[in-house]
Amino acid sequence: MWTIAKLTFKEIVSKRIFLITMIMTAVFLILYGVAIHYAVKDWESFGASTVDQMMQQQLFSSQLLSIGLYFSSFIVALLTILSSVSAIASEIESHQIDTWLMRPITRTQFLLGKVIGLGGLLITYAALLFAGIIMLHQGIGGEVVSLDFSISQIASALATYMLQPLVLVTLGVMLSSRMTSLNAGIVLIILYGSAFIGGFVEQIGTIMEKGALVNIGIISSLIFPVDAMYRKMTVFLFETADNPVSLAQQGMFASASAPNNVMILYTIMYGCVALVLAITLFRKRDV
Amino acid sequence: MNVMEAKRLTKTYNGQAGIRDVSLEIEEGMVYGFLGPNGAGKSTFVRTMLGLLNPTSGEGRILGEPIGTPKSREKVGYLPELFRYPDWLTGRKLLESHAELCKVPIRERKKRIEEVIDLVGMTGRDKQKIKGYSKGMSQRIGLACALINDPKLIFLDEPTSALDPIGRKDVRDLMLHLRDQGKTIFLNSHLLNEVESVCDHVSIVHKSEMIVQGKWRELMMVEAQVEIMSSATAGLTNLDFPDFVRNAENKEVLNDRSKALYQLKSEEDIPRLVDFLASHKLPIYEVTPVIPHLEDVFMYWVNEKEQRYVDHR
Repeated sequence: MWTIAKLTFKEIVSKRIFLITMIMTAVFLILYGVAIHYAVKDWESFGASTVDQMMQQQLFSSQLLSIGLYFSSFIVALLTILSSVSAIASEIESHQIDTWLMRPITRTQFLLGKVIGLGGLLITYAALLFAGIIMLHQGIGGEVVSLDFSISQIASALATYMLQPLVLVTLGVMLSSRMTSLNAGIVLIILYGSAFIGGFVEQIGTIMEKGALVNIGIISSLIFPVDAMYRKMTVFLFETADNPVSLAQQGMFASASAPNNVMILYTIMYGCVALVLAITLFRKRDV
Repeated sequence: MNVMEAKRLTKTYNGQAGIRDVSLEIEEGMVYGFLGPNGAGKSTFVRTMLGLLNPTSGEGRILGEPIGTPKSREKVGYLPELFRYPDWLTGRKLLESHAELCKVPIRERKKRIEEVIDLVGMTGRDKQKIKGYSKGMSQRIGLACALINDPKLIFLDEPTSALDPIGRKDVRDLMLHLRDQGKTIFLNSHLLNEVESVCDHVSIVHKSEMIVQGKWRELMMVEAQVEIMSSATAGLTNLDFPDFVRNAENKEVLNDRSKALYQLKSEEDIPRLVDFLASHKLPIYEVTPVIPHLEDVFMYWVNEKEQRYVDHR
């Protein structure tokens, strides 16, 4: 299992798509840093002396960070989808899997090795990206844009943030163990897109107080809870008991409709079910 | 002890093709040829034995363990027909990964890798990425991979398909070397001469069914043929041959000698033929048994099976 995990990890790192993602990540972080730099400059020239202005400054700052984190979670999801849907299917298509599976390992071990290798790499990447965004925001933002976060806030937000690639990996590998890479990719992108749009619909529904729209969002979260985890992450990151204004509930990239804690448990269960299903399907499959 | 056995093993794809009702037993140290045209079901059988395909019915064992279990694959090597290895790895890294999966002890790993690299003639090329390998080199590294765990049973599926004539000879020599070491080899091939040169036992498969199996020498003797040199003046036309002579035809005339080819029912009929010719006062100068062409043997068994099928209907 660990040999397969190691090989999977090294394989993704050796792929061109990973190199491209790394370069694009660096470009994104530079642009984000530049944006914060100019935002700080503008805000400094504008000045904030009244309570209203200070609140506006806080909201603006949280929005800036939310946008950065939302886009970063999108990049993580894209890399996860691209690498997980081909994890098993492409090896079956090319018959590369034959020489691995004829070794004295079970299919469960092989599949778990794939999930561990992929999951390990992607949560490391997600954690580094999350840390990069927070550090840029807090570092370049200085006193004007930076926000006060406790360690526990960052830790819970990071853990929730890392749940997204983990759930995507399990679902991607499950689809990959049954379908071709292309089909699995299409299904996963549609699911991700639905969750993405469902998340926005839910926020709009909450702001406009439209129950039907909120319900659509909830259903899409149940079908694919990745977007809900992003929303939950913003709650963990921005919500503080001593802040009179809920920063977590402001704007499209935050969480006007906050998922409750049961959603985290649901997401973990969702991942576990996907993993068990992946193992069951793969064990029965002719390769 | 049987290294491998199958009892009515069947693998079909929605009831179509695959391989049906294969029963065989392979003893230790045997080089077993699984001979058949492309699409006969040879690879399906091997892949089912290795647990890559789930059998539709029947059962199989490798080294006493039921097929499909990791234990049954502990001492097995496999070179697939459609060999593809991760091209981002070097040959050596590939072997290291397989050695790790086979639990080759760390202390022995380096030595074993050197041995197999040398055995397949890849010394000096093992640190290159597989991406840069030719088809022949990939097949060689695949062979090294199949041997990395010092297997007792080695499945070779068309092992020379990508090799040039020198490479083919190297692989044939390697198979004989492995046989001398007491390894059991299961050779899948559609190349008759490849099977003939290394195998002692053979199965012939055709259209998903095993037609016949047995010792190669015995299967070859499907039709005894003998060339007899007589005097040029002796004619065959006026002879009334007994039933055991299936066919007789003049081949060539050299000076005062003529050569005729006789097809008999069995080898035991050769002395009877000689007696028959002598009783008809034909001078006999030379009697030479003729080994039939491999294609003829193959076609004989295929036709035999089809004839049995027609008779059965």
